[in-house]
Amino acid sequence: MSRCGRTSHLESLLRHDEPELRAHAKQCALCRHELNWLESEAALFRQRAGRDEVAHLWSGVVRQPPRRRFGLLMAGLATAAAVLLLLAAPRTARTADEGPLETDALMSPALNFDDEPGCSRLPSGLGFTCQSSLPASVLASR
Amino acid sequence: MLKLLKRLPAITPETPDEALVRRAQGGESAAFKALFERHVVAVRRFLRDLLRTPDAADDATQETFARAHAQLVKLPDHDRFKAWVLGIARNVAFEAMRVRRHDALDEDDDALPVAVIPSPDPEGLLLDAELEKHFAHALGTLSETRRAALLMRLDHGLAYEDIAQAFGWTLPTVKNEIHRARLKLRVALLPHLKGERP
Repeated sequence: MSRCGRTSHLESLLRHDEPELRAHAKQCALCRHELNWLESEAALFRQRAGRDEVAHLWSGVVRQPPRRRFGLLMAGLATAAAVLLLLAAPRTARTADEGPLETDALMSPALNFDDEPGCSRLPSGLGFTCQSSLPASVLASR
Repeated sequence: MLKLLKRLPAITPETPDEALVRRAQGGESAAFKALFERHVVAVRRFLRDLLRTPDAADDATQETFARAHAQLVKLPDHDRFKAWVLGIARNVAFEAMRVRRHDALDEDDDALPVAVIPSPDPEGLLLDAELEKHFAHALGTLSETRRAALLMRLDHGLAYEDIAQAFGWTLPTVKNEIHRARLKLRVALLPHLKGERP
Protein backbone atom coordinates (compact mmCIF):
# COMPACT_ATOMS: atom_id res chain seq x y z
CA MET A 1 0.00 0.00 0.00
CA SER A 2 1.53 3.25 -1.15
CA ARG A 3 0.13 5.36 1.70
CA CYS A 4 1.31 3.12 4.54
CA GLY A 5 1.38 4.82 7.93
CA ARG A 6 -0.10 8.05 6.60
CA THR A 7 -2.03 9.66 9.44
CA SER A 8 -4.49 11.52 7.25
CA HIS A 9 -5.32 8.26 5.50
CA LEU A 10 -5.75 6.20 8.66
CA GLU A 11 -7.76 8.88 10.43
CA SER A 12 -10.74 7.96 8.29
CA LEU A 13 -10.97 4.71 10.26
CA LEU A 14 -11.87 6.72 13.37
CA ARG A 15 -14.96 8.11 11.65
CA HIS A 16 -16.20 5.25 9.54
CA ASP A 17 -15.09 1.72 8.97
CA GLU A 18 -13.23 0.83 5.83
CA PRO A 19 -12.84 -2.94 5.98
CA GLU A 20 -10.10 -3.08 3.38
CA LEU A 21 -8.01 -0.44 5.11
CA ARG A 22 -8.60 -1.95 8.55
CA ALA A 23 -7.59 -5.38 7.29
CA HIS A 24 -4.43 -3.89 5.87
CA ALA A 25 -3.68 -2.06 9.13
CA LYS A 26 -3.86 -5.35 11.02
CA GLN A 27 -1.18 -6.83 8.82
CA CYS A 28 1.05 -3.79 8.38
CA ALA A 29 3.22 -2.86 11.37
CA LEU A 30 3.55 0.77 10.31
CA CYS A 31 -0.17 1.29 9.88
CA ARG A 32 -0.99 -0.68 13.05
CA HIS A 33 1.41 1.48 15.02
CA GLU A 34 -0.11 4.70 13.73
CA LEU A 35 -3.65 3.44 14.19
CA ASN A 36 -2.91 2.49 17.81
CA TRP A 37 -1.83 6.04 18.45
CA LEU A 38 -4.78 7.57 16.66
CA GLU A 39 -7.21 5.42 18.63
CA SER A 40 -5.42 6.18 21.90
CA GLU A 41 -5.54 9.92 21.24
CA ALA A 42 -9.20 9.71 20.32
CA ALA A 43 -9.95 7.74 23.49
CA LEU A 44 -8.17 10.29 25.68
CA PHE A 45 -9.91 13.27 24.11
CA ARG A 46 -13.27 11.49 24.21
CA GLN A 47 -12.94 10.75 27.91
CA ARG A 48 -12.14 14.36 28.68
CA ALA A 49 -15.25 15.61 26.93
CA GLY A 50 -18.39 16.41 28.84
CA ARG A 51 -16.81 16.88 32.24
CA ASP A 52 -17.09 20.64 32.39
CA GLU A 53 -19.71 22.61 34.23
CA VAL A 54 -20.89 25.33 31.90
CA ALA A 55 -24.48 26.11 32.86
CA HIS A 56 -23.51 29.38 34.52
CA LEU A 57 -21.94 30.84 31.38
CA TRP A 58 -25.11 31.77 29.48
CA SER A 59 -25.94 34.61 31.85
CA GLY A 60 -22.55 36.13 31.05
CA VAL A 61 -23.24 35.97 27.34
CA VAL A 62 -26.55 37.79 27.61
CA ARG A 63 -24.99 40.35 29.96
CA GLN A 64 -22.35 41.35 27.42
CA PRO A 65 -22.56 45.00 26.33
CA PRO A 66 -25.66 45.08 24.16
CA ARG A 67 -24.10 47.35 21.55
CA ARG A 68 -22.34 44.24 20.28
CA ARG A 69 -25.46 42.24 19.78
CA PHE A 70 -27.75 44.28 17.67
CA GLY A 71 -25.93 43.81 14.42
CA LEU A 72 -27.01 45.74 11.43
CA LEU A 73 -30.07 47.30 13.05
CA MET A 74 -28.00 48.97 15.73
CA ALA A 75 -25.27 49.94 13.31
CA GLY A 76 -27.88 51.67 11.18
CA LEU A 77 -29.45 53.41 14.14
CA ALA A 78 -26.04 54.45 15.43
CA THR A 79 -25.18 55.95 12.08
CA ALA A 80 -28.48 57.82 11.97
CA ALA A 81 -27.95 59.15 15.48
CA ALA A 82 -24.43 60.26 14.61
CA VAL A 83 -25.74 62.16 11.59
CA LEU A 84 -28.44 63.78 13.72
CA LEU A 85 -25.88 64.81 16.30
CA LEU A 86 -23.60 66.28 13.71
CA LEU A 87 -26.41 68.28 12.17
CA ALA A 88 -27.86 69.47 15.49
CA ALA A 89 -24.65 70.21 17.37
CA PRO A 90 -23.19 73.68 17.54
CA ARG A 91 -19.84 73.99 15.81
CA THR A 92 -17.49 73.73 18.76
CA ALA A 93 -14.07 72.21 18.99
CA ARG A 94 -14.05 68.56 20.04
CA THR A 95 -11.79 67.28 22.76
CA ALA A 96 -9.70 64.18 22.27
CA ASP A 97 -12.03 61.93 24.26
CA GLU A 98 -15.09 62.68 22.20
CA GLY A 99 -16.00 60.85 19.05
CA PRO A 100 -17.14 57.36 18.18
CA LEU A 101 -17.58 56.38 21.82
CA GLU A 102 -20.46 58.83 22.11
CA THR A 103 -22.31 57.21 19.30
CA ASP A 104 -21.90 53.76 20.77
CA ALA A 105 -22.95 54.87 24.22
CA LEU A 106 -25.94 56.83 23.04
CA MET A 107 -27.28 53.91 21.09
CA SER A 108 -27.00 51.45 23.93
CA PRO A 109 -30.47 50.57 25.18
CA ALA A 110 -28.92 49.70 28.54
CA LEU A 111 -28.19 53.36 29.17
CA ASN A 112 -30.67 55.87 30.42
CA PHE A 113 -30.43 59.55 29.61
CA ASP A 114 -33.99 60.45 30.54
CA ASP A 115 -32.85 62.82 33.28
CA GLU A 116 -29.96 64.29 31.35
CA PRO A 117 -30.44 67.86 30.17
CA GLY A 118 -30.25 68.12 26.42
CA CYS A 119 -31.06 64.42 25.83
CA SER A 120 -34.22 62.91 24.46
CA ARG A 121 -35.28 59.38 23.57
CA LEU A 122 -35.25 58.47 19.90
CA PRO A 123 -38.63 57.63 18.33
CA SER A 124 -37.52 54.00 17.99
CA GLY A 125 -37.16 53.79 21.78
CA LEU A 126 -33.79 52.07 21.40
CA GLY A 127 -31.53 54.98 22.18
CA PHE A 128 -31.14 58.63 22.93
CA THR A 129 -30.00 61.70 21.15
CA CYS A 130 -28.11 64.31 23.11
CA GLN A 131 -26.48 67.62 22.54
CA SER A 132 -22.80 67.13 21.93
CA SER A 133 -21.91 69.16 25.04
CA LEU A 134 -22.24 65.95 27.08
CA PRO A 135 -18.62 64.75 27.47
CA ALA A 136 -17.68 61.26 26.40
CA SER A 137 -16.28 60.56 29.84
CA VAL A 138 -19.78 60.99 31.29
CA LEU A 139 -21.21 58.67 28.70
CA ALA A 140 -18.53 56.08 29.28
CA SER A 141 -19.21 56.04 33.00
CA ARG A 142 -22.79 54.85 32.48
CA MET B 1 -50.34 38.20 7.97
CA LEU B 2 -51.13 34.56 8.63
CA LYS B 3 -47.69 33.71 7.31
CA LEU B 4 -46.14 36.01 9.88
CA LEU B 5 -48.09 34.35 12.64
CA LYS B 6 -47.16 30.88 11.50
CA ARG B 7 -45.22 29.12 14.24
CA LEU B 8 -41.72 27.85 13.58
CA PRO B 9 -41.05 24.19 14.32
CA ALA B 10 -39.99 23.47 17.88
CA ILE B 11 -36.27 23.32 18.54
CA THR B 12 -35.20 19.80 19.41
CA PRO B 13 -31.83 18.06 19.81
CA GLU B 14 -32.30 16.87 16.24
CA THR B 15 -32.68 20.36 14.80
CA PRO B 16 -29.55 20.79 12.69
CA ASP B 17 -27.11 23.63 13.30
CA GLU B 18 -27.89 24.96 9.87
CA ALA B 19 -31.55 25.52 10.77
CA LEU B 20 -30.67 27.02 14.14
CA VAL B 21 -28.25 29.45 12.52
CA ARG B 22 -30.90 30.58 10.02
CA ARG B 23 -33.44 31.09 12.79
CA ALA B 24 -30.94 32.89 15.02
CA GLN B 25 -30.02 35.14 12.12
CA GLY B 26 -33.70 35.92 11.85
CA GLY B 27 -33.66 37.17 15.42
CA GLU B 28 -34.92 34.10 17.28
CA SER B 29 -33.03 34.20 20.55
CA ALA B 30 -34.06 30.66 21.51
CA ALA B 31 -32.25 29.40 18.41
CA PHE B 32 -29.04 31.11 19.43
CA LYS B 33 -29.38 29.78 22.96
CA ALA B 34 -29.78 26.29 21.50
CA LEU B 35 -26.56 26.77 19.53
CA PHE B 36 -24.88 27.95 22.72
CA GLU B 37 -26.06 24.93 24.68
CA ARG B 38 -24.98 22.59 21.92
CA HIS B 39 -21.44 23.94 21.57
CA VAL B 40 -20.54 25.62 24.85
CA VAL B 41 -18.91 22.53 26.36
CA ALA B 42 -16.59 22.10 23.39
CA VAL B 43 -15.79 25.80 23.16
CA ARG B 44 -15.10 26.06 26.86
CA ARG B 45 -12.84 22.99 26.81
CA PHE B 46 -10.99 24.37 23.79
CA LEU B 47 -10.43 27.66 25.60
CA ARG B 48 -9.40 25.97 28.83
CA ASP B 49 -6.82 23.98 26.89
CA LEU B 50 -5.49 27.18 25.36
CA LEU B 51 -5.68 29.51 28.35
CA ARG B 52 -5.07 26.86 31.00
CA THR B 53 -7.11 28.41 33.79
CA PRO B 54 -10.81 27.79 34.39
CA ASP B 55 -11.67 31.41 35.15
CA ALA B 56 -9.97 32.70 32.02
CA ALA B 57 -11.71 29.99 30.02
CA ASP B 58 -15.10 31.02 31.43
CA ASP B 59 -14.56 34.67 30.54
CA ALA B 60 -13.30 33.81 27.10
CA THR B 61 -16.24 31.47 26.50
CA GLN B 62 -18.70 34.24 27.28
CA GLU B 63 -16.81 36.66 25.08
CA THR B 64 -16.70 34.12 22.27
CA PHE B 65 -20.46 33.60 22.26
CA ALA B 66 -21.15 37.31 22.63
CA ARG B 67 -19.03 37.92 19.54
CA ALA B 68 -20.66 35.02 17.76
CA HIS B 69 -24.07 36.51 18.45
CA ALA B 70 -23.00 39.91 17.24
CA GLN B 71 -21.41 38.53 14.06
CA LEU B 72 -23.86 35.75 13.29
CA VAL B 73 -25.40 37.63 10.39
CA LYS B 74 -22.00 37.45 8.69
CA LEU B 75 -21.89 33.65 8.73
CA PRO B 76 -22.66 32.59 5.16
CA ASP B 77 -22.15 28.83 5.57
CA HIS B 78 -24.94 27.96 7.92
CA ASP B 79 -23.69 24.43 8.46
CA ARG B 80 -20.23 25.54 9.61
CA PHE B 81 -21.20 27.03 12.96
CA LYS B 82 -18.89 24.84 15.04
CA ALA B 83 -15.81 25.59 12.96
CA TRP B 84 -16.74 29.25 12.87
CA VAL B 85 -17.29 29.62 16.61
CA LEU B 86 -14.06 27.75 17.37
CA GLY B 87 -12.30 30.21 15.06
CA ILE B 88 -13.73 33.06 17.12
CA ALA B 89 -12.68 31.28 20.32
CA ARG B 90 -9.18 30.96 18.97
CA ASN B 91 -9.05 34.70 18.28
CA VAL B 92 -10.40 35.50 21.74
CA ALA B 93 -7.84 33.21 23.35
CA PHE B 94 -4.96 34.62 21.37
CA GLU B 95 -6.00 38.14 22.26
CA ALA B 96 -6.14 37.12 25.90
CA MET B 97 -2.70 35.62 25.71
CA ARG B 98 -1.40 38.68 23.91
CA VAL B 99 0.32 36.45 21.43
CA ARG B 100 3.16 38.22 19.78
CA ARG B 101 3.74 37.87 16.09
CA HIS B 102 6.90 35.92 16.68
CA ASP B 103 4.97 33.15 18.43
CA ALA B 104 5.77 31.41 15.22
CA LEU B 105 4.77 28.11 13.75
CA ASP B 106 8.16 26.56 14.32
CA GLU B 107 8.55 27.65 17.92
CA ASP B 108 8.86 24.12 19.23
CA ASP B 109 10.46 22.54 16.20
CA ASP B 110 13.63 21.78 18.08
CA ALA B 111 11.75 19.28 20.18
CA LEU B 112 10.40 17.37 17.22
CA PRO B 113 11.11 13.71 17.90
CA VAL B 114 12.91 11.78 15.23
CA ALA B 115 13.00 8.35 16.82
CA VAL B 116 10.19 5.84 16.42
CA ILE B 117 7.79 6.22 19.32
CA PRO B 118 6.31 2.97 20.63
CA SER B 119 2.56 2.85 20.37
CA PRO B 120 0.19 2.39 23.32
CA ASP B 121 -2.70 -0.02 23.60
CA PRO B 122 -5.85 2.02 22.99
CA GLU B 123 -8.09 -0.67 24.48
CA GLY B 124 -8.73 -0.13 28.14
CA LEU B 125 -7.01 3.24 28.11
CA LEU B 126 -8.40 5.04 31.14
CA LEU B 127 -8.04 8.76 31.63
CA ASP B 128 -7.79 8.91 35.40
CA ALA B 129 -6.97 12.07 37.32
CA GLU B 130 -3.25 11.40 37.14
CA LEU B 131 -3.22 10.80 33.42
CA GLU B 132 -5.45 13.82 32.82
CA LYS B 133 -2.89 15.94 34.63
CA HIS B 134 -0.09 14.62 32.45
CA PHE B 135 -2.28 15.05 29.39
CA ALA B 136 -2.92 18.70 30.20
CA HIS B 137 0.77 19.20 30.84
CA ALA B 138 1.67 17.56 27.54
CA LEU B 139 -0.73 19.84 25.70
CA GLY B 140 0.82 22.77 27.48
CA THR B 141 4.24 21.98 26.05
CA LEU B 142 2.97 22.87 22.57
CA SER B 143 3.09 26.40 21.23
CA GLU B 144 -0.24 28.19 21.46
CA THR B 145 -0.83 28.22 17.74
CA ARG B 146 0.05 24.61 17.26
CA ARG B 147 -1.97 23.58 20.29
CA ALA B 148 -5.04 25.36 18.94
CA ALA B 149 -4.71 23.60 15.59
CA LEU B 150 -4.24 20.22 17.21
CA LEU B 151 -7.25 20.66 19.47
CA MET B 152 -9.44 21.74 16.60
CA ARG B 153 -8.57 18.53 14.79
CA LEU B 154 -8.28 15.90 17.52
CA ASP B 155 -10.70 17.15 20.14
CA HIS B 156 -13.29 18.91 18.03
CA GLY B 157 -13.08 16.94 14.80
CA LEU B 158 -12.77 19.90 12.44
CA ALA B 159 -11.77 19.16 8.87
CA TYR B 160 -8.28 20.20 7.84
CA GLU B 161 -9.92 22.62 5.40
CA ASP B 162 -11.86 24.34 8.19
CA ILE B 163 -8.71 24.69 10.30
CA ALA B 164 -6.86 26.14 7.32
CA GLN B 165 -9.60 28.71 6.95
CA ALA B 166 -9.58 29.58 10.65
CA PHE B 167 -5.82 30.11 10.68
CA GLY B 168 -5.35 31.48 7.19
CA TRP B 169 -2.93 28.64 6.45
CA THR B 170 -2.56 26.41 3.43
CA LEU B 171 -3.76 22.84 3.70
CA PRO B 172 -0.21 21.36 3.71
CA THR B 173 0.75 23.78 6.50
CA VAL B 174 -2.20 22.65 8.60
CA LYS B 175 -1.31 18.99 8.12
CA ASN B 176 2.33 19.65 8.88
CA GLU B 177 1.59 21.65 12.03
CA ILE B 178 -0.83 19.08 13.38
CA HIS B 179 1.57 16.26 12.58
CA ARG B 180 4.36 17.97 14.48
CA ALA B 181 2.06 18.73 17.40
CA ARG B 182 0.94 15.11 17.45
CA LEU B 183 4.48 13.79 17.62
CA LYS B 184 5.38 16.07 20.45
CA LEU B 185 2.22 15.19 22.35
CA ARG B 186 2.95 11.50 21.94
CA VAL B 187 6.48 11.83 23.26
CA ALA B 188 5.18 13.69 26.31
CA LEU B 189 2.37 11.22 26.91
CA LEU B 190 4.14 7.94 26.32
CA PRO B 191 5.74 7.51 29.76
CA HIS B 192 2.31 7.83 31.33
CA LEU B 193 0.38 5.43 29.11
CA LYS B 194 0.04 1.86 30.27
CA GLY B 195 0.49 -0.98 27.85
CA GLU B 196 2.40 -1.01 24.66
CA ARG B 197 1.80 -2.65 21.36
CA PRO B 198 4.56 -3.70 19.01
